[in-house]
Amino acid sequence: MDAKPTIVVNIVTPDGSVYENSTSLVVCKTTVGEIGIMPNHIPTLAALAIDRVRVQTTEEKFDEIAVSGGFMEFSDNTLSIVASSAEKREDIDTNRAQRAKERAEKRIEEAKQTHNVDELRRAEVSLRRAINRISISNK
Amino acid sequence: MPASLQEVKRRIESTKKTGQITGAMQMVSTAKLSQIQKHTTSYQKYAQKIRSVITHLAKSHLLDSATVGSGKSQNGKINTLGMLKQRPVKKTGVVVITSDRGLVGSYNSNVIKQTMQLIDSDKRNKDNTVILAIGGTGADFFKKRGYDVEYEYRGVKDIPTFREVRPIVNNIVAMYDNEQYDELYVCYNHFVNTLTSVFRAEKMLPISAENMGSDDFNSPDENGIAADYETEPSQDAILEVVLPQYAESLVYGAILDAKTSEHSSSSTAMKSASDNARDIISSLELKYNRARQSAITTEITEITGAQAALE
Repeated sequence: MDAKPTIVVNIVTPDGSVYENSTSLVVCKTTVGEIGIMPNHIPTLAALAIDRVRVQTTEEKFDEIAVSGGFMEFSDNTLSIVASSAEKREDIDTNRAQRAKERAEKRIEEAKQTHNVDELRRAEVSLRRAINRISISNK
Repeated sequence: MPASLQEVKRRIESTKKTGQITGAMQMVSTAKLSQIQKHTTSYQKYAQKIRSVITHLAKSHLLDSATVGSGKSQNGKINTLGMLKQRPVKKTGVVVITSDRGLVGSYNSNVIKQTMQLIDSDKRNKDNTVILAIGGTGADFFKKRGYDVEYEYRGVKDIPTFREVRPIVNNIVAMYDNEQYDELYVCYNHFVNTLTSVFRAEKMLPISAENMGSDDFNSPDENGIAADYETEPSQDAILEVVLPQYAESLVYGAILDAKTSEHSSSSTAMKSASDNARDIISSLELKYNRARQSAITTEITEITGAQAALE
């Protein structure tokens, strides 16, 4: 046996590729629960939650990437995560996220008062995105 | 001698200055063009990924079954599978992507003219057409003619990033969900190369097999997706995530493409303007020299005439 099989991880967004690495373990959260991908996993398609994707770099260390939804596709030991936005932990703009959080909270308040269900739902999604970013960057 | 020396000289100066400006503008446009092209390549990677997944899902006949099976809005939640459903067309949404500024040659008039043709065909008129304008020129044009401009957006950045464009895109998709229109066309100039752009009107919603690029269906190997996937949680749930993302990426792609073509036509327009300036300068210079020479000749004749009279 030569080298251990690895997974090539590639996170793409409309603004280009955010993260590329090879690893032996990726943990991400789908809409129904966490999923861990190791080499030679069967081909998988999964919808991702607004949460972090963790990519193992060394024995104990993980790279964390904030993704806002999207989906992942795994086949032939290549994992592609396709999301409308994604940031590495060091790239997260905490101030921006904080502002986005406040804005989203305000929108939720307004939407509740006007009973605008669509707006409420959208505002909740942006709040989740903001909280996700903040919680990852604070670790 | 028609023009005085002074006058010609002044015209040469002013044309030279205009030429300098258009030359600089050409360089700016060219730089922007190369930047946006770099950006487009990275976007295409993303678009291709989404498309390959959608195609895969479509191939498992999910789209067909979804088309028949769903379409009811469940308790106010935006029904993504509704994007697949062909509704009877009462209203048509037309997204017109133009530029905010002028000096882009025939770019804007081209888009507007062809969009009008699209609207006039197929029995569409002012009452059953909704215009969504991206870019000021288009918005002004259709407003002036009494069209229903439901949405307008000005000031798209030169190199639009998805983050900036996202609100526009979300809006457009949300309006479709709210049944403000039942089909959506996106009209823009597609960038072919620096010299040519072609007008394109694409039907983006509802999503159907034809607007996903039917050739993909025939050549699945190119997409690299052949395997049977485990899906998590379910195929429907994945579609619910992928479809809006797909619709968003389509509109974003159109905006990018249009901006690329805007930069290229601006660069071409400025190039021909600079060329024209050069032509004018050279003909003016000829005129100037002729005038100068004839002035000298008259002077000499006068002096020699005066000399002869003295002797």
